[in-house]
Amino acid sequence: MVVQFEKKSMTGNDAAAYAALYAKPKVIAAYPITPQTTIIEKLSQYVDEGKLDAEFIIVESEHSALAACMGAAWSGVRTFTATSSQGLLYMAENVFWSGYGRLPIVMPVVNRCLAPGWSIYQDLQDSMAFRDAGWIQVYTKNNQEVFDSILQGFRIAEDKRIAMPYMPCLDGFVISHTTAQVNLPNAEDSFNFVGEYKDPVIEVDTENPWIFGGLVGPEKFNKDRKDLMEAMERAKKKIVDMNREFGEYFGRTYGNGLVEVYGDDVADLTIVSMGTIADETQDAVDLLKEEGLSVNELRIRTFRPFPEKDIVEFAKQNNKFLVIDRSVSFGHDGQLRIEIEAVLKRNNVDTSVEGRIMGLGGEDVPYTKIAATAKKVLKE
Amino acid sequence: MSLEGFSYFKEIPKKLYLMKKTNHNKDKVELMIEIIQISRGGSGGVTGAKILADAAMYEDKFGYSQAIPKYGSERRGAAVEAYVRFDNKPIRLHSPVYNADHALVLDESLIDRIDFNTVSRDGVVIINSTQIPEQFKGSGRKIALVDATRISQDLGLVLSGFTLVNMTMLGAFAKGTEIVSLGNLVKAIEEFWGEKRAPKNVEAAKRAYEETKMVIA
Repeated sequence: MVVQFEKKSMTGNDAAAYAALYAKPKVIAAYPITPQTTIIEKLSQYVDEGKLDAEFIIVESEHSALAACMGAAWSGVRTFTATSSQGLLYMAENVFWSGYGRLPIVMPVVNRCLAPGWSIYQDLQDSMAFRDAGWIQVYTKNNQEVFDSILQGFRIAEDKRIAMPYMPCLDGFVISHTTAQVNLPNAEDSFNFVGEYKDPVIEVDTENPWIFGGLVGPEKFNKDRKDLMEAMERAKKKIVDMNREFGEYFGRTYGNGLVEVYGDDVADLTIVSMGTIADETQDAVDLLKEEGLSVNELRIRTFRPFPEKDIVEFAKQNNKFLVIDRSVSFGHDGQLRIEIEAVLKRNNVDTSVEGRIMGLGGEDVPYTKIAATAKKVLKE
Repeated sequence: MSLEGFSYFKEIPKKLYLMKKTNHNKDKVELMIEIIQISRGGSGGVTGAKILADAAMYEDKFGYSQAIPKYGSERRGAAVEAYVRFDNKPIRLHSPVYNADHALVLDESLIDRIDFNTVSRDGVVIINSTQIPEQFKGSGRKIALVDATRISQDLGLVLSGFTLVNMTMLGAFAKGTEIVSLGNLVKAIEEFWGEKRAPKNVEAAKRAYEETKMVIA
């Protein structure tokens, strides 16, 4: 069954708010920060107008916002929040706590660079700093994918075998504040896909009291960490399944859910990137193809869990990668490049990897720049 | 690792990719239309760009559009740029518009903020003014002139001391370029503003549509 849509034009943040509205979370706790603010602004309006039956908790900081969401998640209800940049950093303690605590919270991060220098524009430095926090991270390429990923996110996070917070990332301003078309299913069809959160991964039971975050010895500690690692592996399959099921229901998929290939299966050069740069890269691939060059694209949609197998399989047939990072691990290199090189090396794939860091602090990355860089790398 | 091997230090020079008038996309996809708009914060430019994108979505020949406000300086009274794209398929570009087909000037005193060397000579420049600005005289450019400030003020479209010329200018855009119909523009305005606030805004667009004068500078 493929459901009916209404094509509407809306910003990426509006798309995020619609997805949350349709998934009917019971608790939303959030604190405003540019460029995320309009997501929770819309949701507070929906709650105020009675369109959404949720507890909207107004808090004094992001740290408290996520703390309130953690409490809600522990009580076994669907939970949503959103943040950006400095706000995400201020949450840091609870980001790790909810990740390692396996709490199924859905929290879009509207990517914005980190200060100093003070700036409100996009790069991926904020969410990339939390890649070790035990959250699923999906990097979206357009307004439509923001909506779709959030609907899928609740299903993935709330699966008992996964039980993990879910962070859909969207580029600040270029998605969050840009108006574009979204094929919007109606509320009923959307909720039918997400479903009730009937079988909570954890639920406070006053008859049977627990300790949350109690002291543990190394043995239990390491067991929990290994459980998390195994759940991340299961999450890969879940993300692939969700992508497929979403496709059957809504008629749209994003590659296999973990990675998306654009252009020919085999090419002289593969451009690897995430977020809106990956969307723009498709125009670069088309441009280069017109010029007779053999270039394709591998978009990493899911960064956590990292799609090692998919990248390796693709690399076996493609000899040269150009990895574009929109964030830096200072003292090393772009995080995506580092991780791609690592998985190729340990799987004995000799695809060569070139890296470029682009688009920090909101610097524009036009497809012409991607194409010109690809040409230079091809010649090297 | 020497810094030469480090991804951050291998930028290609801007001249290799920021080509003026590449218009690559337009050669490939004749349909894509790109618009640049300049306005003052408070006059409704960002909302106007969004509604223009909505109107283009209703056009059968387009169906897809994009409105990109350039944030950062959106204080009241400051110059605010916005960009709009129309196309017949989903738009994968996320950059600002570098080579516009048409330009919308909501405040004539900001006209120099747009580099008209990058605006297509076949396009239309829609200006909130009663006369051709000095720098365009003899240029042969197609100019759409409308006294948007007066029309908006006549209709009471003033908020906190700022005249809201956004809807008025969209009426002039529809007339001047003829790529978006007045009907679809009105539909987008009504959809956005809702029953209560739409009438004045629709009236502003309609009046501008009637009063806009097309001239060759």
